[in-house]
Amino acid sequence: MKRAFLFILAFCNLPILLVAQIGMYQHGSVVRMHMGDCMLAHHGMTVAFGPPAIPSQDSCPEYTLVSTNVVYVIVGKSSNQLIPLSEVIDFRLHRNELAVRVDDAKRETKFTIKEMFVRSDWERVQHHIEAEMKAAEVREAER
Amino acid sequence: MHKVLGTVLLCTWLSLLVPLFLVQTIYPRDLLELHPPPPTKSGDFTYRSRASEVRLVFFATDEHNRRVEKLQRDDFAVIDNGWVIRNFRSFTSASLIKLDVTVLIDSSESVQPRFHQEITDVLAMISQWPWEPGDNISVLSFSGMDVHALCTGNCRYWLTADRAASLRNGGATPLFDAVITATNSVTAHRQPDIWPVIILFSDGNDTISKATFHAAIRKVIASEEQIYTVDLGDPRRPSDGTAVLRKMANDSGGRFLSLSDGPVKILNDVMDDLHSGLLVTYAPPEFSSGFHSIQILPTHNLSLQFRCRRGYYDHYSGSARQEDGP
Repeated sequence: MKRAFLFILAFCNLPILLVAQIGMYQHGSVVRMHMGDCMLAHHGMTVAFGPPAIPSQDSCPEYTLVSTNVVYVIVGKSSNQLIPLSEVIDFRLHRNELAVRVDDAKRETKFTIKEMFVRSDWERVQHHIEAEMKAAEVREAER
Repeated sequence: MHKVLGTVLLCTWLSLLVPLFLVQTIYPRDLLELHPPPPTKSGDFTYRSRASEVRLVFFATDEHNRRVEKLQRDDFAVIDNGWVIRNFRSFTSASLIKLDVTVLIDSSESVQPRFHQEITDVLAMISQWPWEPGDNISVLSFSGMDVHALCTGNCRYWLTADRAASLRNGGATPLFDAVITATNSVTAHRQPDIWPVIILFSDGNDTISKATFHAAIRKVIASEEQIYTVDLGDPRRPSDGTAVLRKMANDSGGRFLSLSDGPVKILNDVMDDLHSGLLVTYAPPEFSSGFHSIQILPTHNLSLQFRCRRGYYDHYSGSARQEDGP
């Protein structure tokens, strides 16, 4: 019985272990997080092309994940789909979704990809926004 | 031959020294003349400053709502206006900081049936509190149109049963005005190494304040005080007042308690909280005045729960925009 249980456990964890060993995980860091609309995560493409949906009362976590070359904005599928905000997280792309390895645990949690940017473009936009905000503050203070 | 060599060396030295001399002496003056300071009337200066550090008291509990004894600085991240902060300037236990406690006693008509128990609880709490040498305690009461400062600064032995019995009571409930008065009083003698806490005994049903609920909440958040609310209402019949007290406690990072829990539990809950508080400081992540929302989330263990105030105001030029409130 115990052996069978261990076998099933090993079998279930095999894909993740395999992925980890092959080194398919990319590394990134979450720099922004807020609770946003769940609609995108719930309905996916139907939001864009289907009939107008009733706004959801729920809010889902939205993360900005910065990797070496690409910045992903990802949305959870429920309000409690949180990922640990450690300095570096492991993730991989899987069928139009982004699977995040929850810290050292042998499980993944999948997020809908809302937006993707080339990192250099994203950083340029961020610098621009910051400069604009500074200028606006100075203008307001001088008024 | 030597003369020629000497002349060449002299020329080389001069060619290095003359530009250096010009840069040192002429350039700054020219620079000042080219870019003179903007004309100002005498004494008409504008000083600008912004918050350079955010100080945040928070509480960590595990999945069984027990306090986490050994929390490390890399166990959590602060979400400030959506930005994830992991780089902290300091991380210490807040129990090392001196307390500035203001006890606010509702003595209005609506709490008369429970006024005696309210006073008994306040007396018990003040007498049993393990005060540290630098701690302060002030006592204010509110009823009718007024907020009465009964004792400020060092009231550990001031409030006795006789004095409590002679308190003015009855009339309307200026709750929000009282909260603002207490906040102003704390802000007036605020020091950076003091932890301001308000313990509010009330039923939460304001009837006459000039200030609104939102103005009171905004003031509390701006002053970085924590409010522990003790509900004097009937716990079997929660009212609007209960919701008001809960909101005040939650937004300020304090706790909501009920008078029916008894003085021992109230005291223990507040004491436990104040002993388990943690203080983290960090640089604000972005250049924007107004309200910054704050949340604390775990970096490794997702079962950890964190409680803190809902945000803070980054004051640029000393003004907080009214529309940016929580």
